[in-house]
Amino acid sequence: MQHPKWFVIARNEYRVNINNIRAIRRPFPYITVAFLVVYVLYLAPMFVNLFIDDVLTFIISKAAIPMVQLMLFSIFFTMTVFPITNTLRELGTKQLEIFLAAPVKPSDVLLGEFLGKMPFYIIALVVVTGTFTALLGSLGLNFVQNAMIIAAFIMVFLTAFWIGTVISAILRTRIGKSTRAKDFGKGISAVIMLPVVAIIYAMIGGGLTEALIDPSTSGAVRAALDFLPSSWAAEIFVAFASNSANASAIFLENLVRFGGLSFLFVAVLWLGTKLANRAYSLESTTFTAPIAKPDGLFYKTLRGLRGGGSSGTLLATVFKDYSRRFENLSFIIYAVSLVVLIVVFLEGPNEGAGLNIVRQLNIMPIPMISGFVVGTISRGKRTLFLYKRAPNGIIRFVKARLLQSWLMAVPIIAIIATVMTIIFTGATLVPLLSNVLLASFRTIAMVVFLFSLALLIPFFGEESRERTGGIMVYLMTAIFTSIGFELGFSSTGWTFEKTFPNIDPYIGMLSDRLLETSIFLLIGILLLYLGIKKLNKIE
Amino acid sequence: MNVVIKTDNLSKYYGRAQEIKALDNLNLEVYEGETFGLLGPNGAGKTTMVRLLNCIIRPTKGTATINGYDILKDSNNVKKMIGLLAETPGMYEKLSAYEFLEFVGALYDVPDNILRDRIGNLLGLFSLYDRKDYLLEGYSSGMKQKLLLAAALIHDPPILFLDEPTSTLDPRAAHMVKDLIKDLSERAGKTIVICSHILPIVEEVCDRIGIINQGKLIAIGKIEDIVSQTKTTNLEEAFISLTGGVEEKELLSWRELRSATS
Repeated sequence: MQHPKWFVIARNEYRVNINNIRAIRRPFPYITVAFLVVYVLYLAPMFVNLFIDDVLTFIISKAAIPMVQLMLFSIFFTMTVFPITNTLRELGTKQLEIFLAAPVKPSDVLLGEFLGKMPFYIIALVVVTGTFTALLGSLGLNFVQNAMIIAAFIMVFLTAFWIGTVISAILRTRIGKSTRAKDFGKGISAVIMLPVVAIIYAMIGGGLTEALIDPSTSGAVRAALDFLPSSWAAEIFVAFASNSANASAIFLENLVRFGGLSFLFVAVLWLGTKLANRAYSLESTTFTAPIAKPDGLFYKTLRGLRGGGSSGTLLATVFKDYSRRFENLSFIIYAVSLVVLIVVFLEGPNEGAGLNIVRQLNIMPIPMISGFVVGTISRGKRTLFLYKRAPNGIIRFVKARLLQSWLMAVPIIAIIATVMTIIFTGATLVPLLSNVLLASFRTIAMVVFLFSLALLIPFFGEESRERTGGIMVYLMTAIFTSIGFELGFSSTGWTFEKTFPNIDPYIGMLSDRLLETSIFLLIGILLLYLGIKKLNKIE
Repeated sequence: MNVVIKTDNLSKYYGRAQEIKALDNLNLEVYEGETFGLLGPNGAGKTTMVRLLNCIIRPTKGTATINGYDILKDSNNVKKMIGLLAETPGMYEKLSAYEFLEFVGALYDVPDNILRDRIGNLLGLFSLYDRKDYLLEGYSSGMKQKLLLAAALIHDPPILFLDEPTSTLDPRAAHMVKDLIKDLSERAGKTIVICSHILPIVEEVCDRIGIINQGKLIAIGKIEDIVSQTKTTNLEEAFISLTGGVEEKELLSWRELRSATS
């Protein structure tokens, strides 16, 4: 029997996606369906019963609409961005040649790729809608109202994912042929989720929901939010749920919203298939090759830092290779943005007085920036072997990469420390200088520690997905080690002030921080020694 | 003889002012059952021509017919006629060899009952049957090349385009592919277009060749005719003579700096 082309492509896409569970590929759908049935019939109702009273109170509150709107918008944005991010990370047009050389319509390719990924999204959809079904059951809504809410949610998800699939297909062919555009795409993929992160942080600690409830502060933002299709689904849900006793009164209103969502879904689907011909093409878009400019002041200074000669050349080279990849720079932009969001929304001036700012920096900003920097520079098995075959290559490699990491991480942290000290404590010279110097010293130690780990447990993967995974490992290691070290040091109860009662309290605190970081640096140096030994043995 | 590939001023230009002529007014005829070799230096326009004739990209002007089907109006029928081994083909690294061939076969509408046997036979022919369930990410470049050849043959097309078919193969596999090309042409009546830099293969298997340079077809005919027209003694010399000759250089001049650095 001949299968439709979109089915063939969808099946192939599904096979590629479940490659990691090949051993259970055949029973996988049955296992999944069984799990979902158990979830929808037993687990979801049990789960909902645990907090049904709180939910009911929430639904009739003023916060319900903006909160659900924001949640659904975040999901809508994430579902749109997810396929785009995946595509931008691994931009490649090679497989397109298989499709374009075969008698296949571009719309079949688009639909096939969409449906091939759908089973995994359906799992998420069933979990979400299963939870809502359990919730709606306790609200006394009738079958049509329940169905309308669930269908609205499904349409929001599918619309978002279809939009993301179409955009990613267009991006893949438009920018996948130029190396510079590919690099730019990878860079964008790193920062594209920042708006959702900002919304989540603003909801948790920034008072966004409260501001949206207050009509005097929320005018334009509320209007913009109401305009989004994800908000229409939120309004259908909240309107039915908060008027369950008299749901028929708002039925017509909700039917209009539902009609709008349905129209949008069909329109987006139609437009996507029309755009498919543009989405699949191997026509070259550019013939320009990136050209390296002569060394400017920055690279000349870098060469000078290592006294010129071959060491200076090595340092300038690793910097060039790093900075010409837009992906690396955008990871750093992402890290700095995250730090700013955390400081602005989740932490505050109350926690950051005097030398406490250094402790605040030690726990999140320093590990984050160091983790991203070391994570992004630790790449390239091939370049490592270039060093390995050169005389004293490993030592040169370690020196160049370590210095590069310091030159990147320390100035960023110094700026963050300066800004935080000025904003939270006022611009007095002594705390400013001591905070900046202590934070810089801690960054130097953190980079040594993380770089040593990178040598001991290297992530050599060149694929973006593996690299992002590697960066996340360094990041998590940095954060948890830092928190653990801070807690461990505090739990000893030892301080300079207790041991030397006559010492100035500020100098005492300063000395505590210096000692703590010195111990951290010593551990890092020991690990670095082991890392270099390991690197010498790698084949 | 039946003409199965005919191009009519086939051109592909790039750039804002269309100043880059990847292929310029190509007029070419390839006959049924013929093995035609297309030679040219890097960037000459060979891959552009292959992509145009396979309806992967559209010409800026001109057109071509494949087995009577116009590449602009009948692209689906053209694609059904052709098996393509591309220059830089994409593979699904997370599929097994069997799954990959099954996928490509389904794209070309090979009926299921025929497809299963054909996959087995082709994998056997290319000595890949024992590794049919291995993921392609574990295949060597030579094994991948063999698999891509099998994929180009999976729908048993009357016309084959083979872009560098033996470039990554070991001598034994390359010999097998040469014999396969000869058999496909002589015994199965296939029309084959080969793009290659490996001149001995072209000399051995091609009935006629075309030499393309800077987007233009600059010579076409039997190898011995081209060699005699250029007043050279072999294909390599003829090719170099037609495409611009060798620049005379002092090949060890770079060593003069050694005394300054040592």
